[in-house]
Amino acid sequence: MPTASSTTATAAGTNTSVTATSGILQRLSSTDQDVKFKALRELKNQIIGNRTKKLSFLKLGAGPAVAAILAEAVMADDGDRNDSFNKNVIVQAAAVLGSFACGFDVGVQAVLDAGVFPNLLRLLSNLNEKVVDAGARSLKMIYQSKLAPKYDFLKEKNVEFLLSLLNSENENVSGLGSSIITHSCKTSVEQKLLFDAGVLKKLIILLEGSPSLRDSSLESLATIFKNNLEVVSKFVGSESGRALSSIIELVKDRFARTRLLASWCLIVIRNTSPCYLQDIAVKTKLTNTVLELVGDPGQVGDEASFAFSSLIAEKEDMQKLAFEINAIDKLYSHLQKDSLHPRRFEGILLALADMCSKLECCRSRFLSLQALDSVIVALAHDSADVRTAACICLRSVSRSIKNLSAGCFMKETVVFPLVRLLDDPSTSVQVAALGVISNIVVDFTTRRSSFIRCGGVKQLVQLSKSMDATIRLNALWALRNLTFQAENKCKERVFMELTASLLASLICDPEAFVQEQALALVRNLVDGCINSVECVFAEDGIILDAVGRQLQSALKVEIGIQGMYVLSNVATGKEFHKEAVMKQLLRYAETGTQSYIVKFLQSNDSRLRTAAVWAIVNLTSSLGAGASGRVVKLRDAGVLRVRTAVGQFSAFDVGST
Amino acid sequence: MTLWAYYWAILYRAMEPKTVQVRRIKSVDQEMPVRVVESSAHSQVSGANSGQTSPPACTLLSVGQAFSGTQNVSNLQKEEAWRVNVRIQGCDLEHGYLCGTMEALNVPMADTPVVTFWEGEIVDTKNYTFYTGKWEATPEDDIRHWTKFPSFQSLLTRVEIDGGKSLDLSNYPYIFMRWKEQYFVNVGTDCGLTIAGFYYVCFSCSDGSINGFYYDPNSSPFQKLELKTTNEGRSGFSFSSYELQ
Repeated sequence: MPTASSTTATAAGTNTSVTATSGILQRLSSTDQDVKFKALRELKNQIIGNRTKKLSFLKLGAGPAVAAILAEAVMADDGDRNDSFNKNVIVQAAAVLGSFACGFDVGVQAVLDAGVFPNLLRLLSNLNEKVVDAGARSLKMIYQSKLAPKYDFLKEKNVEFLLSLLNSENENVSGLGSSIITHSCKTSVEQKLLFDAGVLKKLIILLEGSPSLRDSSLESLATIFKNNLEVVSKFVGSESGRALSSIIELVKDRFARTRLLASWCLIVIRNTSPCYLQDIAVKTKLTNTVLELVGDPGQVGDEASFAFSSLIAEKEDMQKLAFEINAIDKLYSHLQKDSLHPRRFEGILLALADMCSKLECCRSRFLSLQALDSVIVALAHDSADVRTAACICLRSVSRSIKNLSAGCFMKETVVFPLVRLLDDPSTSVQVAALGVISNIVVDFTTRRSSFIRCGGVKQLVQLSKSMDATIRLNALWALRNLTFQAENKCKERVFMELTASLLASLICDPEAFVQEQALALVRNLVDGCINSVECVFAEDGIILDAVGRQLQSALKVEIGIQGMYVLSNVATGKEFHKEAVMKQLLRYAETGTQSYIVKFLQSNDSRLRTAAVWAIVNLTSSLGAGASGRVVKLRDAGVLRVRTAVGQFSAFDVGST
Repeated sequence: MTLWAYYWAILYRAMEPKTVQVRRIKSVDQEMPVRVVESSAHSQVSGANSGQTSPPACTLLSVGQAFSGTQNVSNLQKEEAWRVNVRIQGCDLEHGYLCGTMEALNVPMADTPVVTFWEGEIVDTKNYTFYTGKWEATPEDDIRHWTKFPSFQSLLTRVEIDGGKSLDLSNYPYIFMRWKEQYFVNVGTDCGLTIAGFYYVCFSCSDGSINGFYYDPNSSPFQKLELKTTNEGRSGFSFSSYELQ
């Protein structure tokens, strides 16, 4: 049978391969040095660039076997320059170990577990250049992984040793020095220490070396600059800016990777201190270069979109500049390509998100290109990172009030996939989806019904009970925005699903930011139709009591503001409602405790003072029959005296004092 | 509580002389507001560039607030005023941006109330000055309209120099704006109305009232918009809020 013979053939092939693998391993432990050496060389050739083979050799114990050979050879090495065979064994063993570690974390872990690290370090001080080179190459591979041990710059003589590496004429050794910095320099103390030791000057010199040395130096420079204003300032000011100019020049390099790393370096400098790199020509060149690199088909392209995001994130001037060079169109054209690698897909979506985060012109362009359709498709991508990025992109675009008012987002094609993501197994996807939903439910027309129809409210209420505080926060945020100026039917539905007791418990949530959103939600629920005020009186006024309690103990201004607007809105109701608010305001006065309203009226925060004054205005307005009685009570409690003192009696201009 | 004036200009197109046209302006690209609560204490700028500040935060000019009143569209032939409702939907003092909707009731030839979305430029002398610089409005047109507001008179001399760039309006009790309608919300562009012109607007921080004058070179001049805050049947003022993420 063809099937049977084929299976047999495959099995035979596999067996042959296993036999060959174990054959090499057997020879690695041979007592014949020549056999051992040849096995090392064969092993090296087999695993180069082949992850599957690396893995299968590692599974069979190749790591400890090669480590043992290296240890034995290092021990036997007496520094005699003429013992070439032993040195060749060292070189081959180090090369095999480096190959296992090259771009492969499993390999790095196996090599480290085999305890080779001290022996590889010893090779750096060998008198034989080939041995030093092999050791440096191997260590460089290890230091490119996050799993490499942290190099302690603060330890005595370690910086001295690092400088000796950087000073080496061997490019692999100086490159190792750069890799160690990139991997291990994390704190501002370490950055300053390296700067003071003159490491930056060495790295700038290394920029004149080979492309690979240049690249690793650029990475190290960015590591030392990152978020360290002092180091960046000193660097930019040094040598009349010549060092900075040399990095700017590399943005035009012929190698894509060098252009990207030089750009990263400049982005880090600019993000650390925006006052640098203000030259429009440099900014334009930088933006153009990074944008062009997004189109690179390799790893550079994958990373370039993240560099682009970092360049423009939170910076309106850079977003405007990028918009003017058609960044939205260019990013979108990359998004349209087939079979995008998830990492690249994610990066482009995040770059578009940053582009649309502040400027309406960017959002308009994005929507006019019909890019929304591609992003909606991405909501169902297999990769959770892509789904999250798609949500973040939609969140930015949906900040457009102009388009929210036009109902561009509140339609089934957008709403349904987003509501589905509320059940996503990934928390970050859920949170990102809640972020978009929070925006799109601010629908100024009456289209909220489609969201309710697809079970959106039920889902949000369910998530408001989550054990995860971030999910509770975002679910409440969405409900708050959904009820902003909403029709009664919508608000009633939300309140029915939530229930008074759940809302009261959310007002008293352990997390302050959840309390704030819960109070803001209640504020919206009691706005609009006068009957909506009633909801805070349900279940014996459990919500109103919770609001009063939170206001008395509020540590955060925002809680005070939202809570006072709840009371202020309730105080626009009937006499009964106004009296209930009075009770809340004065409940602590009877016990001699200072009422929060007095504290709020004296607050340094004008927003809080404003909210407090509106509550008093609504209670004492002549439109209410019991207004004069309330004035007396508030005066007796010292509230009106305070209000006079802060000059806030004007019913309309309370925000400006 | 009170009615609000809306301001519509009636124009008969040269080609379609019987069509009723509503005049509105177009907008600028601006950052959308994310936080909508009132901003905290106003910044004070000293020196020659005083005036590079935000206008006073005012609760009555915040999102969700509703205004109602009339727009006087009288012409030589007849006296006429349309009822108008306005609601603020977005406000970003930092960028001098405001937006919302206008609803015009009892519009002749329209079967239903006509709702439009508008965007506003707040004259804060940082983002925008008193000079419009677009929408077919010359500095002379600007001055002619601004001077219709009594609260503008004290600013006139400085505005004539540089559009008011050197003024500090951060504590001025009035907020000057331009409102430009962008699109029809509930009717199509074939509804017989048009939104070509824009409004010069003055908001009073002390009583929340809004006055405006409609400008369109092809329309009868100085049509007046008069709006007042409304509490929508409540015994006091109620405020809701949203916050974009």
